[in-house]
Amino acid sequence: MRVEMHPCYVLHQRPYRETSLLIEVLSRDHGRLTLIAKGARRQRSPQRPLLQPLRRLNLAWTLRSELGTLTQAEAADAVPAMSADGILSAFYLNELLMRLLHRHEPHPDLFSAYASILAALSEPAGAEAALRVFEKRLLLGLGYGLVLDHDVESGAALVSESHYFYDLERGPTKTPRPGAQTIPISGVTLNALNRECLEGELQLSEAKKLMRTVLGLHLGAKPLSSRELYRKFISERQRA
Amino acid sequence: MFEDHSRLEVLIDALRRLPGIGRKSAQRIAFFLLQRDRDGARLLATALVDAVENIGHCRRCRTFSEESLCRICANPKRDRSLLCVVESPADVVAVEEAGFRGTYFVLMGHLSPLDGIGPEDLQLDSLESLLGEGEVKEVILATGMTVEGEATAHYISEMVKKRNLRATRIAHGVPVGGDLEYVDSGTLSHALTGRREV
Repeated sequence: MRVEMHPCYVLHQRPYRETSLLIEVLSRDHGRLTLIAKGARRQRSPQRPLLQPLRRLNLAWTLRSELGTLTQAEAADAVPAMSADGILSAFYLNELLMRLLHRHEPHPDLFSAYASILAALSEPAGAEAALRVFEKRLLLGLGYGLVLDHDVESGAALVSESHYFYDLERGPTKTPRPGAQTIPISGVTLNALNRECLEGELQLSEAKKLMRTVLGLHLGAKPLSSRELYRKFISERQRA
Repeated sequence: MFEDHSRLEVLIDALRRLPGIGRKSAQRIAFFLLQRDRDGARLLATALVDAVENIGHCRRCRTFSEESLCRICANPKRDRSLLCVVESPADVVAVEEAGFRGTYFVLMGHLSPLDGIGPEDLQLDSLESLLGEGEVKEVILATGMTVEGEATAHYISEMVKKRNLRATRIAHGVPVGGDLEYVDSGTLSHALTGRREV
């Protein structure tokens, strides 16, 4: 199969044989896939500077098996200027995508969500809220979308002034089933997450806790190395 | 083709450990050494054993060294207030050729959470204690111009800044003798952001 040039991001790259790279790609039309970039590690390879994460590219490839072969690459946008926090958050996003997305499943909505979060990460203000929105859209794209608009027991619309329990198997409710694994969360946070307009410390910290727990169910026991790195980075900074 | 554990087979397998050497090349090298250059083969064998047994890491900068302190770190003429942090011993050679007169710290890699490489794998605690000795005044971050290299530079800059030392990042831009039209756009955009007064 031949795939013509279309928008992609490199999620990760690693050396392959002597002069090539294996790149993990998030593509708009073909989802996540792995490509061999032959000769991309040669000194004078024009692809060498291009095949870096975070930059929007156009890629073309051929696919005969699970593993494709990159045939063409060009930049589709400038290199985003990112702070340390931006880069470390991007590592986190890429690790999430590599851990959670199956290969060759198209997720065009997720691709555009990824493009907008990378743009948001180059501005420090609002990056945390943008991360939560991306996680919400990621879960939706994976088919595990959160219930954020009604009480799953009573069916009533969520009231911002009320407090709820988020039942990890079903959704938010005021009256959780006995024995259900739940997270306490306020109505205002649930509504803000639903409308993708989280703000203020309470909403951000409640949303973070919810997302971390829900993602944890899908990620399994192995911790995210990018999260660990971010934690160490922050503690270095605080010791300053 | 040969008996499984014949000496020839063992030699070919051993040669395949070299980077860029596949089975065919390994076989060609083995035949060449045995047919044409047995003295060369002995020389190679002793040099390898000697190197592996006697080359360790410098205790200050961690580059390869026969002594506990490498030649650069031991040289009293080097400027110990300038510390250049690089990813590999090959980078030391490159920066040396550029005429740098300070000293180095070699990370032997870069932070790459997606490969599971964190700060502890780069022995940043040795860097920490080196900074703690008080000689270093400025740390030049010369890690690669990759996303991982940038992350590594940012991480180390936090360690440096908290000691109130100066952290600088090497500039990146158009290669000497390079025509702008052939420079990739990423490099050119860095060159534009990093422009300076003339």
